[in-house]
Amino acid sequence: MTEPQSGPQTDGGTTVTATTVTDSEGESATASGRRTQVALATRQVGSLAATEVRLGLRRRWAVILVGLFAAFGMLVLTFAGSAPGTAGFERTAASLAMLAVYVVPLAALAYGYDAVVGPAESGWLEVLSALPVTRTRILAGMTLGRGVVLVGGVALGFLIPGAILVSEYGPSTVPALATLLLAAAALGLAFLAVAVALSTLVREKTHALGAALLAWVWFVLVHDLLALGVVAAFDLSAGAVTALVLANPTSVYRVLVLGELGAGGTGGFASVLSASGLSSGLLAVALAAWVAVPLAAAALLVRWRGTIAAT
Amino acid sequence: MHIETTDVTRTYGDVTALDGLSLSIPSGSTFGLLGTNGAGKTTLFRLLIGHETPDSGTIRIGDTTVSAAGTEIRERVGYLPERAGFPAELTAREVLAVTGRVRDLSDVDSRVASVLDTVGLAGDADRPVEGFSNGMRRRLGLATALLPDPDVLLLDEPTAGLDPLGVVAFHRVVEDVSERTDATVLVCSHALAEVERLCDRVAILRDGQLLAAGELAELTAGTSGLEETFEAVVTGDERFGDEQSAVAADGPDASEAQRPPDTAPAEREEGAP
Repeated sequence: MTEPQSGPQTDGGTTVTATTVTDSEGESATASGRRTQVALATRQVGSLAATEVRLGLRRRWAVILVGLFAAFGMLVLTFAGSAPGTAGFERTAASLAMLAVYVVPLAALAYGYDAVVGPAESGWLEVLSALPVTRTRILAGMTLGRGVVLVGGVALGFLIPGAILVSEYGPSTVPALATLLLAAAALGLAFLAVAVALSTLVREKTHALGAALLAWVWFVLVHDLLALGVVAAFDLSAGAVTALVLANPTSVYRVLVLGELGAGGTGGFASVLSASGLSSGLLAVALAAWVAVPLAAAALLVRWRGTIAAT
Repeated sequence: MHIETTDVTRTYGDVTALDGLSLSIPSGSTFGLLGTNGAGKTTLFRLLIGHETPDSGTIRIGDTTVSAAGTEIRERVGYLPERAGFPAELTAREVLAVTGRVRDLSDVDSRVASVLDTVGLAGDADRPVEGFSNGMRRRLGLATALLPDPDVLLLDEPTAGLDPLGVVAFHRVVEDVSERTDATVLVCSHALAEVERLCDRVAILRDGQLLAAGELAELTAGTSGLEETFEAVVTGDERFGDEQSAVAADGPDASEAQRPPDTAPAEREEGAP
């Protein structure tokens, strides 16, 4: 058998190191083993991510995402008109932000729903699982690759309308547009993470697609309406209102972006939340948690998926 | 590399997939694993590559206990799953390159070129997989298993669904690999003629239990061939009772088979030692 490139080759988290004589040498060897493991994990995840990016390009997902965001962005610019001054910019940027609430989650769910169940159906996941790599790393590589394609699509798609806005309203609008872009990318990653988690749960692509569509309907359409109804009907505490916002990544995004744009008064639920005391920092952390938690769940689920495969 | 399973049991709920399986597979042999549906063949493969751990019993490949090795065991084992598939948009070379990089192999490009040549896909290396026939896809799957130059090669229903020419082409590659390397090849198949052609040793399973095992010539002696032997063993023909079970048990000794299991009954979390 030919030896692999690196030294100790083990499962994720398990490190085999050389026998050592003293404690300090032992610690050194352990640290070295950990570094080797991290380097190996990085290479494995990187290789899988690069393959996923390649697939995203060949399957035209990158082009579709760029085209989608560019087309809707231009549509907003066209209909928003070109009112002069700060108010004009805020109105147009807020329209772009609201557009992102609908389009970005849909695009992310559509792109991510088959991340695990697709390769599982085709047999590619079985081939990868036969390699000396943990399922968690496989999942990480696939998700990272899709994340790169999605964020790239959002960034390039918003570049054209963003550039028009900057040329029209001046370079002082760049920070606000950058915030909008970053938040939209984070929103996309959050829904990609949700899609990946759903993809690990189901056995067929059609079921994953159905679950992804239901998730979109819930988070984008139903949740805010229900929350607005609850807020209107009951005298909720600030904590309850905060919890309602944090329970939905689109609400988090909406409050974050509209607050940063200075347009917090627009949008039904967002206007109710203007006094809820949510800081931009907390909202950013919440959005990051909406990326991390579903991915952590997916990492656990993909192991369970492996154990049920044989039954 | 020698493979030995000792009193291996694996259950899924109420279903016992493997029931005290003890089997010894000599290094360098080409071993056929036969059985009816649900006999436990695929479960054994999943245990051999460390996807699962046995509820009780041990599996060793060479000097390594599989359940303790984590994913490391797959560095030495090439596995062609029954349902192997590939992204249609990737070329054969790209498929092999990514599996080689995930394996962290050195000289990936030259290895890929070499293994493509071995499986007869050198001329199609840069074509997308979507244009491949079933036979070409199976040979590409075999190439992913051969890429690390494995000590053990596991082939799960390798020619299922292939046309006769595809089967012949696949068999030639496996025979070539068996001749040129000292890898232990384990073939799980419903195609008795395939096992008869490729394998020098055979084991027959039913309901997770080993019914017979031994050299092919030994098992088929006195019958018209493997088909008759298989039918007789599975249906409980007296000729294949205790005598063949004795052949099956020639690896692990009985006292070892009774020792307490050294692995936890629950599914091992991947990544754990």
